[in-house]
Amino acid sequence: MTQKAVAAPHRAVQQPARRGPPPPPPKRGFDWRVAAMPAAIGTLSAVVVFGALAWVVTSAEQWPRIKLQFFNLDAMIASFPRVLQGFWVNLQVWLTVLGCILIWALVLAVVRSLRAPWFAPFRLIVVIYIDIFRGVPVLLLVLLFGFGIPALNLPGLPNSGLFWGSVAMVLSYAAYVAEIYRSGIDAVHEGQRAAAKSLGLSEWQTLRYAILPQALRNVVPALMNIVVALQKDVALLSVIGVRDAVREAQIYTATTFNYSSLIVAAALFLLATIPMARLADYLTRRDRQRRLQIAD
Amino acid sequence: MIDKMMDATRRFALALFAGALAVASPIAAVAQDFSTMDERLTTPGTLTVGTGDPVYTPWMLNNDPAGGEGFENGLVYALAAEMGFAPEQVAWVAQTFDQAIAPGTKPYDFAIQQISVTEPRKQIVSFSQVYFQPDKAVIALPGTTAETATSFADLKDLRWGAVIGTTDNDYLVNILGIEDAAIYNEQVDVFQALQAGQIDVTLAALPTALFMTAVQVPDANIVALLPADENDNGHGLLFEFENPLVPAVDEALGALIEQGVVDDLIATYLVSDPDLPIISE
Repeated sequence: MTQKAVAAPHRAVQQPARRGPPPPPPKRGFDWRVAAMPAAIGTLSAVVVFGALAWVVTSAEQWPRIKLQFFNLDAMIASFPRVLQGFWVNLQVWLTVLGCILIWALVLAVVRSLRAPWFAPFRLIVVIYIDIFRGVPVLLLVLLFGFGIPALNLPGLPNSGLFWGSVAMVLSYAAYVAEIYRSGIDAVHEGQRAAAKSLGLSEWQTLRYAILPQALRNVVPALMNIVVALQKDVALLSVIGVRDAVREAQIYTATTFNYSSLIVAAALFLLATIPMARLADYLTRRDRQRRLQIAD
Repeated sequence: MIDKMMDATRRFALALFAGALAVASPIAAVAQDFSTMDERLTTPGTLTVGTGDPVYTPWMLNNDPAGGEGFENGLVYALAAEMGFAPEQVAWVAQTFDQAIAPGTKPYDFAIQQISVTEPRKQIVSFSQVYFQPDKAVIALPGTTAETATSFADLKDLRWGAVIGTTDNDYLVNILGIEDAAIYNEQVDVFQALQAGQIDVTLAALPTALFMTAVQVPDANIVALLPADENDNGHGLLFEFENPLVPAVDEALGALIEQGVVDDLIATYLVSDPDLPIISE
């Protein structure tokens, strides 16, 4: 190693310094073998791995029974209309609940990040709220709200399970989303507050015009995660009698003992969540490029 | 290379299969000669029976299958005696309905859990012959519109609830044409929804309904009886698909039905003399 280090200046001495820009790197011709190699290895490895998996699964003694019970095309077709109808309920609940969560969580996060001393009790309330609703399983909340509150027969309030189940989802998810918002608010540099204050903005104006726009932009990728999770958790409402996709699939399964309807429901959920996952990836990448100033 | 390997594996599997056949055929020949030490039992020397947890009156009393009091466990102990088992040779395995219908090996010889025999289900599991066919009862709280219903059309206007896994929902769809009943996980959820006013009315097998309205939810009443659904054959014992024990158990069950043991059990545990209106159209 020391020898090489010594050799370098030696060579420089032998070849007198050249004037002008360095020569361009030698042009390499397109070598299809080099280009095709990774693709070929990738394909081969995929064939071997998936082939082995398929062979292991299909050679299992019980495979014909499993195929009949889980991947029965006739049963899938038979259960599809009702499962799809249930999935439509999922989508409606999901979008409505999502809208409410985003707004309610913002209220919570803003209250929690207000700094004036007389907001102390409100900040405390929000902290307790988040502790409680983040700590209780959503399923329990759905059961308590979906069955408990309607049983009180409060005048003037709806008693539909769908309504109160959705309320439980909003209350629970808002606790998570409020914390995401807060992380975004906390991530905005302290200098921004100082700058806004020096411009004479009130605390509310600082929040509205300086902090929140930056904070929300920062948390979009994290929020996408919650959006996808929420879409699946809507299925929890099935326990209080809401006929969503999962419940419709279960009804078919319970009637015929055939599980293919669950595969149909799973496929529908994937159809909805995979594009969202790709959208989340895209937003994250764009956000990263914007923040770190990476050229395309 | 892979082809060759698979060929070899296949040949090996075939050889194994042939060997298994050769071993199995003498057993198949003595299928009718059932003994309590039969190798095909989950545990030879013991009759292992699956059932729900908890279990409900009047199907099994006191939430105690081994107590032998109740229609279903009474039937199992009679069946065990018919097949040559002593009462202490009967072992109980608790399971949920979902476990009962799941694929794969089952940890019991058969299950008894008010499971209705239907054609689609026979593709997935095996059943014994039917031993009981209950009527369906309509249950509602007093003071609701369900009490005054006199026709299917009246019933159709109500908000229905039912339990998943029962044939109650099939009944609603097939007989009453109700497609949007709320479906709950447990019977208790249905009553919670009933009391919360989320549904007007539910239905259940008559023996279950009598117990519910007498003990579990005394507020609720049976308001009417409904005719049977032809697609629902009634309750049967559930076996793993093509379990070789089915003929032996079926034979014993047939003997019990013939001797009137099942009728006696029905008379002891399930009979009531409900003076109820029947809505049939």
